[in-house]
Amino acid sequence: MRCAEVHPNLAAFVLDGLEPEEAAEIRRHLASCHRCRDEVRELRKVNRALEAAPPPADPPSYLKDGILSRVRAERLSTSDKEEPQGSSIEDRTGSSRTSRFNRLKDLRVVLPSVAAAAIVVFVALGVFFGFLREEPPVATIQLVPTPREAVGLEGYWGVAEIRPQPSGNQQVELKLNNFEEPKPNSYYELWFVSGEERISAGSFTSVGEGETRVLLNVAPQARNYRTLLITEEHVDERPTSGEEVALKGKVP
Amino acid sequence: MVVAAGDILESDGIGRGQRSVASQRADELTDEQCMTRLSGPEVEAALSALYDRYSRTVYGVGFKILGNRSLAEELVQDVFLKVWRSAGTFDPSQGSFSTWLYRVTRSAAIDLYRKRTSRVRQVPDGARHIAAARDSSAGPQEIVDESWLSWRVSRALEVLDAPHREVIELAYFGGLSQREVSERTGVPLGTVKTRTASAFRRLRRELAVGDTSREAIR
Repeated sequence: MRCAEVHPNLAAFVLDGLEPEEAAEIRRHLASCHRCRDEVRELRKVNRALEAAPPPADPPSYLKDGILSRVRAERLSTSDKEEPQGSSIEDRTGSSRTSRFNRLKDLRVVLPSVAAAAIVVFVALGVFFGFLREEPPVATIQLVPTPREAVGLEGYWGVAEIRPQPSGNQQVELKLNNFEEPKPNSYYELWFVSGEERISAGSFTSVGEGETRVLLNVAPQARNYRTLLITEEHVDERPTSGEEVALKGKVP
Repeated sequence: MVVAAGDILESDGIGRGQRSVASQRADELTDEQCMTRLSGPEVEAALSALYDRYSRTVYGVGFKILGNRSLAEELVQDVFLKVWRSAGTFDPSQGSFSTWLYRVTRSAAIDLYRKRTSRVRQVPDGARHIAAARDSSAGPQEIVDESWLSWRVSRALEVLDAPHREVIELAYFGGLSQREVSERTGVPLGTVKTRTASAFRRLRRELAVGDTSREAIR
């Protein structure tokens, strides 16, 4: 075999993609051709670099719309804030002509109003930050064991509380009781499911007896996915939300 | 109060037609030209074009280093919002857009990594503790060390045109032989081999160029 015949097949050879007899011919040629051996050495570098490549995958299509919506909303919000506010030029000119007496009289009227407004703002901020500290959930979902998992278990249940976040995501707080530790090399994954579609809210592990609390975040689109599943997944496999369902719940 | 989750958030479906027409124009711009348009009226078209070019890389690298699809999605969102908000800090004389975006992505990934850790720690006293599913995954320093090579290889793959990328993805990631790639795609076996050889040459060239820009990310 001549180099010109071998060269076009060297990349496929490095990828281990040739038929056995083709690969054998290449090996025979390489044994006697240092130029082609050098070429294979270079191609193997590319092959090794591919090990660092992320697996080919497109992000979910809703992400792009979500990002552009955020940009649009923030731009609108910024332009609203930049609108001129308050008094007109005529008003300001008029007030500059106000007599000292009138200004003092105005102050007597204005000061109590300012004080009252300050109290209102103070109370409002207190309420606002109070909400930030302990915002009530907008949805509470009971999670119950699937029949197979429930056999022989006592006090095994869960609750999911959903809170919208300023980012648009939804925070999901799981409160799980007596939730078993997953099998070795496994973990739990929370899914929002609608028919055949599903969105992952993230993964976690648990440690058996007592209460386990988990905070996860899920994309805004999950609002239309009304079934919640907690599944057990193996670390070496792509999560599927397929077979090992541990807890299940329906958004009311 | 119990409210259906479906009522929580507003829907989005504004201006799709207008956006796609504007995006076609932005598609003809370079990355750097798109960046200059992020502060003007064409911001959505410009950001959309950059997203189309780089979101697979950000998502793929994010998934690889964070090990979680939800976090990778959060990363994509964080990164492209940062691109828009921080467009003014991009200086083309200091390096390519791709290198700048890599730095933005790396920083956002480290933030998310730390956030994930703090999420795990947000368990009140008295409750049973939990551990993240992939506690053994790379920490911030490993993210810095490994993600640049991931980024470069991903970008090199994205530079390939679709037919060449397809044969590499099927052969390398799908583990198919050249004959199986030919059967799967309906492309003659000889063409599959030629495309594989050509794709490898291109990848070799792209990765060699990437080597020379190593200092740019420090």
